[in-house]
Amino acid sequence: MTETTTTEPWLDSNQKPYIQIENVTKKFGDFTAIDNLSLDIYKNEFFSLLGPSGCGKTTLLRMLAGFERFTEGRVLVDGEDISEIPPHLRPINMMFQSYALFPHMTVEKNIAFGLKQDKLPAKAITQRVEEMLELVELTDFAKRKPSQLSGGQSQRVALARCLAKQPKLLLLDEPLGSLDKRLREQTQFELMDIQEKLEVTFVIVTHDQEEAMTVSSRIGVMDSGKLIQVATPTQIYEAPINREVADFIGDVNIFKGVYKGQDEKGTQLLSEDSKSIIYATQKADVPVGNKIWFALRPEKLEITKKLPEVDCNILKGKIEDIGYGGSFSTYHVKLENGRQLTAIRANHERTAEHYLTWGDEVYLHWVPHSAVVLLS
Amino acid sequence: MNIKEIQIPTFLKRIFNGRNTVISMPYLWLLFLFLFPFIIVLKISFAQPILAMPPYTDLLKWGESWWPTIQASFDSYLFIFSDSLYIRAYLSSLKIALISTVLTLIIGYAIAYSVARAPTRWRGILLMIVILPFWTSFLIRVYAWIGILKTKGLLNLALISLGIIDKPLIIMNTDLAVYIGIVYSYLPFMILPLYANLEKMDMNLLEAAADLGCRPFKTFWTVTIPLSLPGILAGCFLVFIPVVGEFVIPDLLGGTRTLMIGKVLWGEFFYNRDWPVASAVAIILLALLVVPIMFYQKSQEKAIS
Repeated sequence: MTETTTTEPWLDSNQKPYIQIENVTKKFGDFTAIDNLSLDIYKNEFFSLLGPSGCGKTTLLRMLAGFERFTEGRVLVDGEDISEIPPHLRPINMMFQSYALFPHMTVEKNIAFGLKQDKLPAKAITQRVEEMLELVELTDFAKRKPSQLSGGQSQRVALARCLAKQPKLLLLDEPLGSLDKRLREQTQFELMDIQEKLEVTFVIVTHDQEEAMTVSSRIGVMDSGKLIQVATPTQIYEAPINREVADFIGDVNIFKGVYKGQDEKGTQLLSEDSKSIIYATQKADVPVGNKIWFALRPEKLEITKKLPEVDCNILKGKIEDIGYGGSFSTYHVKLENGRQLTAIRANHERTAEHYLTWGDEVYLHWVPHSAVVLLS
Repeated sequence: MNIKEIQIPTFLKRIFNGRNTVISMPYLWLLFLFLFPFIIVLKISFAQPILAMPPYTDLLKWGESWWPTIQASFDSYLFIFSDSLYIRAYLSSLKIALISTVLTLIIGYAIAYSVARAPTRWRGILLMIVILPFWTSFLIRVYAWIGILKTKGLLNLALISLGIIDKPLIIMNTDLAVYIGIVYSYLPFMILPLYANLEKMDMNLLEAAADLGCRPFKTFWTVTIPLSLPGILAGCFLVFIPVVGEFVIPDLLGGTRTLMIGKVLWGEFFYNRDWPVASAVAIILLALLVVPIMFYQKSQEKAIS
């Protein structure tokens, strides 16, 4: 599951964005945390901000919540400028990385906290709290204190507490960061279900690219306070715009070389990793002789003992390392020039590990349309 | 060559192992520095005053027979309960302690809160300023307050020269002076536990409250105060318990009408030379304070777990 939406509002120019971040800059002293960033997010999107730590993604989230004021720019939610509104009056709720559950209140009281601030009648609060407890399947834990909950349960209480107020926008800061892998995967799907059911716009911050790929409608890859690429998970993975994005999302083999022009097989690259010209179908929009790069995902590199019956994109090497991963194996192959490439091969046969082994002379090859041409 | 090992009985080995020795240290400390003096005071409280050195009768009298007879007298206790002065002094001490604890809490909380929220590099300096008065003798600091509060003291001179008042304020030798002295002297005992608590408070909780629509002032009451309760309790007990028995401050700053049990105790010992009554006053004071001390212990245990 890579795409959760069937419609893609960002492609439709008639659609009005729900959250409009306009030329926002945030400086802490001399340090620019967010650098003139603009971004449109649409209603009911599950938008991920992805980037290495220190890239400004959490700062951006905290600015949306109102905990940090921006140095320049403005943010509109549903057409309303919220830049000057203090956090307690914003129609936005945030789920903290630490969950920030009030330790002196029961689960029930934690969830009711936000509703009480709205001065709702007691009956309405009780009813809403019950709904929320049911939604996150914690009805039996209503009277517990946060210290008596497991990590996964705390995470669900935090989620219920944010959702109880029916925010226009829900911000999630590394929501699954402190859960173990199994629980994290399960919770990813729960989050998606809840988001679809309640039709709330989610913006999630994560450094976990797999998580971002699984849950998001779109991903914004950030670095040094800037958005490098905003696209669907598939586009980000299959068509990264530069080496940085390609390298950050998943594993990748990159071939550096000189653009030699175009022929019937595609874009020609002369790389020191290959004796002959290598090809990619995608066009390179630069003059001949420029430096360009080919990016190739490990699962798109085919690894065989026999010489493949194709006329291009064949590299010869030796297996250095094998990582057995159950459903697939990862091979590190050393080329003749010493360069190491990574190939992934699904283990269709039960005895796959006997088929290719350490020290084997192998051929790597790819079809031209598997490679991505990168200009920077 | 025949080396004989010294045989230590196993039960002794079991008693004097390393672990027990370490554990016994605080108990030995308490035994010698608290329990023995306490037993002596308790013993004197059951004696009768005489003109001698020491000025009280022996509890045990060795007579003709080879066992002693006990000469316990409850006169001192009966005397304390028959003279309303003592009961008034106890009640007045508790009242003064309670009011000054509340005042210290309010001022101390404000200071502890601002230190805890100050930029990290400032905190150490600010805390040192809080502790700095401890570098001077307690007695000298209380004396200094006389210079500030007396009729022609610094405070009155300043206020008159600023034209705020025409006649000097009478603060010295009143209960107000006692409160000022107590709050000033005991403030660090309130600030330190409160600071320790507020400093480690998760700021995300306050942000979460704001995020859920809570105004800053209400967040303070519904989140900050409840979460700092262990610090509040620790600070209050650290101030309340010693203030009940406080002697120096009411003696130096208070007037003749300022009634506190510490002053009464002093008077019994040194003016009346009635050690048994003085000891009985001390024993009753201790009995009164056992209740809050137990609450303090409980709250500390809870804070640790």
